[in-house]
Formats: sequence, C-alpha cells, structure tokens
Amino acid sequence: MDRRRFLRTASLATIGGMAVRGFSSPLLAALRARDLNDRVLVVVQLYGGNDGLNTVIPLDQYDVLSQVRPHVLIPEAQVLPLSGLDGTGLHPAMTGLRDLWDAGKLGIVQGVSYPQPNYSHFRATDIWETGAHHDQLLNSGWTGRYLDLEYPNYPAGYPNADMPDPLAIRVGGPIGPGLQHQGLSMGVAINNTDDPLDLSGHIYNDPLSDACSGGKLGMVRTVQNQTDLYGDVIQAAAQSACDHGPYPTGNAPGAQLAQALKIVARLICGGLKTRIYWVSLNGFDTHAEQVVATDHAQGVHAQLLQGLSDAITAFQNDLAGLGLEDRVLGMTFSEFGRRIVSNASIGTDHGSALPMFLFGNQVAPGMLGTNPEIPPGTTYQTNLAMQYDFRSVYAAVLTDWFCLAPEEVDQVLLDTYQPLPIVDPAGCLSANVHEQHQRAGERLLEVYPNPFVERTTVKYTSHGGRVLLQVYNEGGQLVTTVLNAPVAPGTRTVEVDLGPLPAGVYYCRLQNEARQQVRNMLKVR
Amino acid sequence: MPLTPYTGPFGTAELRHLLRRTLFGCNNADLAHFAGQSLQQTVDALLTFGPGPAPTVKNYWLDAGAGPDPTLIDGAVPFGSTWVDTPRDPDEEPAVSQKRIESFVAWRAGLLVQQDRTLREKMTLFWSNHMPVEATTVFNPDMLHAYDMMLRGHALGNFRQLVHDMSVSTAMLLYLNGYLNNVFAPDENFARELMELFTLGEGVGYTEADVQTAARVLTGWTIQTQDGGTPILPATIFVPFLHDSGDKTFSAFFNNTTITGQAGPGAGEAELSALLDMICAKDEVSLFICRELYRYFVHGTIDAETEAEVIVPLAELFRQHQNAPDQMRIVMQALLTSAHFFSESVRACMIKPPVDLVVGTLRQLDFPFPGPAQLEAQYAAWLQVYALVAYCGQPLFQPPNVAGWPAYHQYPQYDDIWMDTATYPARNNAVAAILWTGFTTDGNMYEAASQDLSFQVDLLAVVAQFSDPFDPNVLVHEATELLFTVPVSQQVKDQLKTSYLLLGQQFDHYWSDAYELYVNDPQTTDMTAQLVPLILRWLFNDLRGAGETQLF
Repeated sequence: MDRRRFLRTASLATIGGMAVRGFSSPLLAALRARDLNDRVLVVVQLYGGNDGLNTVIPLDQYDVLSQVRPHVLIPEAQVLPLSGLDGTGLHPAMTGLRDLWDAGKLGIVQGVSYPQPNYSHFRATDIWETGAHHDQLLNSGWTGRYLDLEYPNYPAGYPNADMPDPLAIRVGGPIGPGLQHQGLSMGVAINNTDDPLDLSGHIYNDPLSDACSGGKLGMVRTVQNQTDLYGDVIQAAAQSACDHGPYPTGNAPGAQLAQALKIVARLICGGLKTRIYWVSLNGFDTHAEQVVATDHAQGVHAQLLQGLSDAITAFQNDLAGLGLEDRVLGMTFSEFGRRIVSNASIGTDHGSALPMFLFGNQVAPGMLGTNPEIPPGTTYQTNLAMQYDFRSVYAAVLTDWFCLAPEEVDQVLLDTYQPLPIVDPAGCLSANVHEQHQRAGERLLEVYPNPFVERTTVKYTSHGGRVLLQVYNEGGQLVTTVLNAPVAPGTRTVEVDLGPLPAGVYYCRLQNEARQQVRNMLKVR
Repeated sequence: MPLTPYTGPFGTAELRHLLRRTLFGCNNADLAHFAGQSLQQTVDALLTFGPGPAPTVKNYWLDAGAGPDPTLIDGAVPFGSTWVDTPRDPDEEPAVSQKRIESFVAWRAGLLVQQDRTLREKMTLFWSNHMPVEATTVFNPDMLHAYDMMLRGHALGNFRQLVHDMSVSTAMLLYLNGYLNNVFAPDENFARELMELFTLGEGVGYTEADVQTAARVLTGWTIQTQDGGTPILPATIFVPFLHDSGDKTFSAFFNNTTITGQAGPGAGEAELSALLDMICAKDEVSLFICRELYRYFVHGTIDAETEAEVIVPLAELFRQHQNAPDQMRIVMQALLTSAHFFSESVRACMIKPPVDLVVGTLRQLDFPFPGPAQLEAQYAAWLQVYALVAYCGQPLFQPPNVAGWPAYHQYPQYDDIWMDTATYPARNNAVAAILWTGFTTDGNMYEAASQDLSFQVDLLAVVAQFSDPFDPNVLVHEATELLFTVPVSQQVKDQLKTSYLLLGQQFDHYWSDAYELYVNDPQTTDMTAQLVPLILRWLFNDLRGAGETQLF
C-alpha cells in the first residue's frame, strides 16, 4: 500500500495500545538478541557553513593564505600537524580530532561540494540533506530513501520483532528533510530521553474523512502513535546500565552536541537497533568576528571547532570503552564552506567546497584528496575547487558501511556516484541482512480471535525449512511449544488451547529459519 | 482575473474558521461578538486596528537582603513605568538587558493572550517570522522592542515602507551585520537575505554579483549607542565616509539597472530608496510575499491550481496597490473574503503552531489572568505563557535562523513540522499544564498584591456559558465544538458522554441531577455531585488528547 494512502486511511488497530505495554516486557527484551553486525551511522550536521580553510589548514600554501585571508588566518606555528601528512594541519582547537587521527580513526575528505553550488543556507542545506541536483527539488532525504530501501514496509506493521526500534533518531532538534521519505518521517525526534512520552489519554476516534483535514488528522494520529510506541523502547534503552566515559558538560564548548552524542551512545549501548542517529551543532555562519582580532586561534570559530572535536572524541572514547566502536561510523557535514578571501568584519562569507570528517574504527584513515589550491589572482569572488561530490561520500557509506549493492546505491541516490575509498569494506563481504530487513513488516503470524477465552487459531506463513511456534507468558516463560518441525512454504493454521491458563497477556512467537515474529495474545476470563 | 470572492453561507462554521486563522483560538465570546455580522463586516472589523498597545514596563527588582527593591537595578526607571525611553547604564550590563528582555517577552506574550478581536497580533507575528531577528543574537532589549513596535505599526501598511524601515532598524542592522558593512569591507549578509528571504525569494534569477552589489549600496549604515560618552537609546545613523560612493550596476535580471553612486549625508537614504524601488519593481516580490501569506494564513502546499487562481491574482492586487499606505490591508481583505479561503480543501487542514495551541487553549478556556492591579503577577504569568509556547517548539523572537520557522517554508512538510515525536509530548504536556496546574506566584514579590497567587482554569465557568450544560448531550457537543477543529460523530460524543459525564451509566439524568445539585450548592454533601468539577476535568483532559485539537 502506498504510504500516503496508509497515512490517510490506515486504522491504527495494527499498532494498538497493547503493543505499547508488550514492548517493555522482559520477554521481548530477551527476544531482541542484539545482532552485533547491525551498523549505525551518526550524522553530525554543522549549521551555517563551516570555514574549511581554517579547519583543515593547507600549510603548503601558507604564504598565499596570509595574503588573501589576513583577518582570520591561524598562526602557522599553532596549527596542529597531522602525523604522516606533510603540509596539512588541523585548527589548534581540535586536539581531540588530532588524537583520533593518530589512532587511525579519522578520515578527511577534501574539497567536497557539487556542481553549481548554491550559496543560500536553506537551499544548500536542502541539497545536502536530500542529495538533489542543483536544479532539482526532492521530497525525500538521502537517509530517508536508504531506510525506505532497507525497510520497505515501514510504517505498516512497525514496530515488529525484526525492527522493534525507531529506524532513525534525531537528537536535539526537529527531523529535517534528510530523514523524510515522500512526506513521511522515517525517524523519531527526541530532545531528551527523560522527556515524558505521554500517552494522549484520548480514547475514541472517528474514521478519517476524505477531506484535506482528514489527511491532516491522520498525520496527527500517526505521530501520536509513533510517540507512544517508541517511547517505551527509547526509555528502556536509555536506562540500561552502561558505564559511560566523560563528556563535555555545562558551559564547555560543544556541551550540547556532546550531550546529544551521549544520548546516542546510551541508546546504542541500550540495545536499540536504530540505524541512523542525527545530531547537530549551530553557529558556523561566521560572517563577522570569526576570530579574535588579536589572537586568531581564539574566537567563535575556535570554540565551535573545539566543541565539535571534544564532543566527537568523547563519544568515540565512550564507544571504545563500551566495546561498541566497530558498529558505529560518524560523518560531519555542513551546507557549504566559506569564501577564500576574508572580510574586514574579521569573518568570512559563504563559499563552496569544504572538507568532511569521517570518524570511527572502520574508517579508512587518512586524507582523501589534496590540499585545496588557492588559485592565482584570487579575489573576493573566488571559491575553492570541488574535488569530490558529496554524494560520492554518501555512496561510500551506503556501499561499504551499509553494504548495499551498486544498483541499490543508485536507487537511494537517484543517480550513479562512484563510492570513495573512505570506509573499510571488509565488514560487508559476508553480509546478507537485507532480506531479513526487507521482510520486516510482512505479517507471517496472525492470531484470531484475539482476545479469546480458551481456544484461538494461529495462522502462520512458512518460507520453507523448520518452523517453531511457541507461546510465552508476559514474564517471558515458555508456556507451550505448538509446533517444531519442517514445513513446506505456504500459509497454514493451527489451533491453540490455553484453557487451563490464567487470563492475561501472552506472546505467540514464530521462528522460521532467520525470520522471526511475535504477536500479542490476550486471554480473557 | 481577480480573486474569486466567497459567496456561500457565512454561518458559525465559517466564522470559526475565519477567527481561528486570524485570532489565537476562537472562544464563545468571540462568536457572540461577531454573531449576525456579514463576512465583509467581520473582516473589515478584523482589519481595523485601534491605537497600539502601551509599551512594556519595569517589573523587575533586586534583593540585596532587605527584600525586593526596584531601585537596585535600572534605577532611573520607576517600578511600573516603561523603560523603553531610558538608555541603559553600561555599568549595569548585562543584568539590565536580561531583565528588560524578560520584561519584553512577557509583555509580548501578554499582548497575545489579551489580544483584541483584530488581526494585529497575528499579522505582527507574520512579519516577525518573515523578517525575523534572534533575541539572543541581538540581545538588546531597546532594539527588540523598537523592532516589534515597528512591525506592528506597519502590519497592514505598505510593504516597501516596511522593508525600508526594517532595513535601517537597529535590530536588523545588528542581526545581519549591516552595521559592519562598509566600503572597506563589504559584508553581504543582509543584502543576501534582503533578496532571498525578505523580498524576491531564492533562485528567481538575481545573481551572486547582485547580492554583492546590493551590499555595496547598503554600506555606511551603522548604529550609535552613545553620544560623547553618554549612553543613548540605540539609533541608526548613516556615516558618509563608510559608504561606497561608486556606481552600482546590477545584472540583466534587474534590467542592468545602475544605481548612481552618491556621497554625502543623504547618499545612504537615496541609494537605499533606489535599491528598494528596483527590487519592488520585480513581479517576483508580489508573488513571493503572497505565497508567504498563503502559507501562513491558508495552507502549506501551493499546487499549480492554487498558484494560478489565488497567488497570481492576489499578487496582481498587491502590485496594483503598491503605493497605497494600507497595501497589506487590501491584500489581506481580498484573501480573507475569497472563495478559496473558505474551501474544504484548506479548512482545518493545518497543524496549529505552538503559539496558536497554547494561546488558543488559554483563550478558549477563559484562563483568568491577573489584572493590572497585580502587575508583577501579570508579567510572571505572561512569562509562563512565553515559556510554554517555547517548550512546544516556538520560542518567539528566537527562530532557528533568519529564514524563520521551517513550518512556513520547508517543502514538503510545512506545518506538519510543528508536530513530531519530540514536540507532540511537549504540546500535550503544555495543554495539560494549562488544564491541571495553572500558574502560581511565589511569596517573594515587590508588590504585596502579587504574592502567593494561584490562577486556575475554571471549567464550571466555561461550561456555564454553554447553551444547556444540564443536558450532557449539549455539554459534550459544545465542548467538542469549542476545542475540536473538525466535528466528531454522534457515536464519539455518545462515548465521551457515557464514559465521563455519566461515569459509565446509562441515563442522562445522572449528569443533570449531579450538575444541578452542585451548581445550586458547591458545598453539597452529595458524593456524586461533589465529583462534578473532577468529571469536567476528566472530560476536558480526554478532549485535549484528541488529534482534532491539533488542527486549525
């Protein structure tokens, strides 16, 4: 069924109130045995346009830089050298990222942009988030399209045993275009895991009308239900006892980003299977007073970069301590870089190409591309040349991190982009998790009538191979094994008698080779 | 082809729709006020503004150990008098700025909850979204207050004049670095947003070079904050030697217009005027502004048919009256009386912005705010209103960036953005807080009359205004009419009635009897009758959770 139509007409009966309680039960926690191959992408968005030339500094062009950007240039002696890489250094505030570089956990992609770059914050952000061409308006984001490929049935039948958790979580801000797919948000937004996720309390709903307001009301109800459905799993994950490392707090630079990343670490450690986390840092639009006039290594931009660097480093160290480092890849992006020539407001205006950072244990460490070249005769209008299309970075993430086939990458990015060698592809060589994800939401198991008094019928679908049908009670104890035998492909029914058992919630669980599903059963009186 | 006027019936449903989109929420007193008036009469009344509001006042003090004392901070301003004409003492900064900004935002929220029945406050917020400044960036109470007053003054005025005054306002000069833009180092920040966000719209054909050239036109304007060492109210000044007096030639998009470079004290005004003339001569301005109005007042998505039948004729009207002092009133009048505005394709089909949700709920429930005799409590309660709106995702005067709130420009979601899995619980909690908690003041107040007060919704007073609150069918029906934007079925109303007013019982007289006992004697010892206030709260608590309350 098409998504819009689902939003408009679907009754929410399939994800009714029972499921909310069900998902916090010990049984489901146990069934949700964590697949350590589940990989996570953390997107760090830098709002405002980051000054790449003062972030990754081309020391080999220091002379010409000192002529064209005298107002903001970092003193050469203070630039942090990168071991094994002559002629390139990091802003002095980024000691944390320098350490990650030394540990082989940092990748730098130079000169990232796209043909016909746009200098408007809002349009450029849209382009980066959707992956659109400069003259194309898309109503879906690149991560939204990836999640749609991976979980094509979403949101019908979600959450389910294969994917009990949000597909994506935005921490500390609203869900932007990047996580949208054709008008549907593919993730949930949280500001804080302690936020109460209040069940609305409203009981009675009319069916949706065909009027415009009916569609809008359907959207409202979907959000209400998503809120409630995922509230339990998010809180449960956040409360799991993981021993976290230190993060910047209080008024320290980047504390807000650090706290968002700490929430991400808590949720990953708490067992969420969520694929994408999206966090952000504001304030990179440094038209004026980017640096302190008397000390160019200090100022607004230095604080931002220190915040970014400290927060990412704390996060990476925390993941290492938790043993989660191999599952997480991080990526920074900003809607554009800034102009080569500085202005006398001690700042820089909107520019084009800029470096991106990738961080994590599986990053192919090093710098891809060359130092940006300051063209001879540079004027106020001159911009840096593009070395790599940003969508080639996305293609690399999709190919070597999420293990998509080339045609699938094209499907997500809506065109063909060569993936860059920035992520270690080794983990993808034996991956075949797709089939399972793509089947998530397919209903292999039905129970009717439900609720029931003594006896009920279980309808199940086998894709061939052994079928195991079990009933558990709410406490997670096995009550009965209904079936444990090879079954030829097809749909069948079997009757289950729980007559002697007390009334209450039970779970019927199907396992058919790699596929497994769980349905709630309610026995009354 | 002019915009097709609405000629259908103008009943209560249409009046509610009109008032929800022009006021904050629509309550029974609003309906009674306009009852019997025609659409034209109602819209004329909504678009006729009386004198503007009195400025915000000093409501703050410090406590040095001897109790609250207003003379200890911003001492030149007496408690209860306005501070807007008094320069701040730099020695007291940033404390005075903080207090004044708090006073400003509280006053501003107060203007919303005590709005008169005109478009003024909603239109002012429209401009405040269209040409926003961020309070934490500007961080200057005098500028913020002056900017807000300026927007309010031009709310239904002439667009070019509004853009002119915005361009040379201290708040905008500071916010987008215009005050640093000079011949020696052009800063194009304001020039870019002037074209992209305030007048023409992004990608319509002007060039990067046009942005840079406009920045040169705008060089030389800056802000004066002291005079010979004495602090003064922030004032915009033009400094001729900081102005680029060369000729400025624009691209073919502007017909290669050259603005002749000028020098001397009148140069800034003359060139600004020429720049605005050049920009406002482009049809794109009228189309862009009319789309902005449409997305704010009518519907998020503009399809090809709406573009042709609504935006294009409205933009034509905008251009026809571009020299009228009440240009925006003429445009809004046409929009609010158009057939399209009342069509099913747009009615109840927007998500309420947080400000409409919070302020609308307060007005619908006749929230009893403190009066002027309790000035301190009044400002404290208003500040709570500001905080609730902010909590739901719309901190007024602090939009995410210079583009304003994404709900008014972010394709394809638009108003859906207001409601996601993070903001929905906040919206839910905010309305619950209004319904269950209300506002309280503490004991440490300068004014004795403001101390230790508690303000609560009085649901008995709300339902007493219904036509027959003794009849549970009428009560439920009118409660849903008040709080829901779309009607609900008899089946849902029956379920609500039975579940709450009848406590699961079968007969209507259970409610009628209990309600009668209670209103005749609120001290009644009858156990069922004692439940009446609680029952009403349960009912309203259920209603607030319905999706129907999120639309407008």
